[in-house]
Amino acid sequence: MPIKKLAFIVDKLPYKAETSRLALTHAISSQTVEIYLEDGDNVEPVLAFVGDGVLNCLKDQKALDHYSISSMEMHLKNALLLDLKVLVCKEDLESFGLTEDSIVMDAEEIGGEETTKVVPYDTILQEMDSSDHILYF
Amino acid sequence: MKLAVFVNSYSEPAVPDRLTAEKLGIVLVQNGVYHAALKKDGGASSVLSRDANFYALSEDLQSRGFTDADVDSKVKVINYDDLVDLIFNDYEKSIWL
Amino acid sequence: MGKLTLGCFSSLVGSMTLDFAVKLSEAAVRKGHEVDLWLSGNGIMLGKTKQSKFRDYSYLAGPIEELLKTGKFKVTNCEACAKARGINKEDTMEGFGIHSMDWYLASAFDADRVLHIGGE
Repeated sequence: MPIKKLAFIVDKLPYKAETSRLALTHAISSQTVEIYLEDGDNVEPVLAFVGDGVLNCLKDQKALDHYSISSMEMHLKNALLLDLKVLVCKEDLESFGLTEDSIVMDAEEIGGEETTKVVPYDTILQEMDSSDHILYF
Repeated sequence: MKLAVFVNSYSEPAVPDRLTAEKLGIVLVQNGVYHAALKKDGGASSVLSRDANFYALSEDLQSRGFTDADVDSKVKVINYDDLVDLIFNDYEKSIWL
Repeated sequence: MGKLTLGCFSSLVGSMTLDFAVKLSEAAVRKGHEVDLWLSGNGIMLGKTKQSKFRDYSYLAGPIEELLKTGKFKVTNCEACAKARGINKEDTMEGFGIHSMDWYLASAFDADRVLHIGGE
């Protein structure tokens, strides 16, 4: 029963381009991939934000109010609700003067139990190393 | 890991220093081939100072008016067929920056 | 021989990244490999019917038709990305699959190599 690990690495800014949104929606689609696979086979996604990509994780995004589109914040909370592993690069967050208080750390208000992990870049590199395939957005 | 990093733009830094691998291949495609063929202010592109194997796509070099003679000696000129072999035989994972 | 899964989200004509994906697919098929090409975001334009062939513009409909004839190449549009852009089944070239995003992950599951090219 193979489980293939897919690392979704996001280093692009949100909204001007749809790249980072597509990273999240593709990662979230791992919830239904089983319908295409043999019984017991599955994919294990890990979603990591590096470089400018950490800015996708800021709280209080108002994209829905102003542009009538789901915000990256909403997608991130969905990812946490669905128990996806979400990592944010510590060094890159700090380089922007940001802390855990600035970003989406959980989805408790919608019943999510998983939390965002702020980790060193080396940890994310290890995830890339241990994955079967890397999808770099 | 054995990682091929596709560089498609002519900007610096082309590949972050912290992106490392046991075996790193930097594949210059599209506008990335300018890193292989140009010297800016007399100096080669900083990406070529990385500890990596370098490749540049011949179809993209020639489309931009360069020949193999213009390419830095550190860079191996390859075509699409060679690129397929690199992906399948030399590098287990690939990323496009 | 192996299987290569490509994901390309770049737009048709306005960027030459789709050209790269198609030429890489051609080379891989020529060498006996199988290729799955997943198109999402602006990449779904590749499947639009009624593309005109002008020398000043990339024309990929022809190469795609030839690749499909080999039987070693599959190309699939993201259904949501296509519909959001007003491209429905009747607007899509014959031979293109249309699926949700989980199809890409399933393709990656049994691929020997995956190159996610992304968008611009």
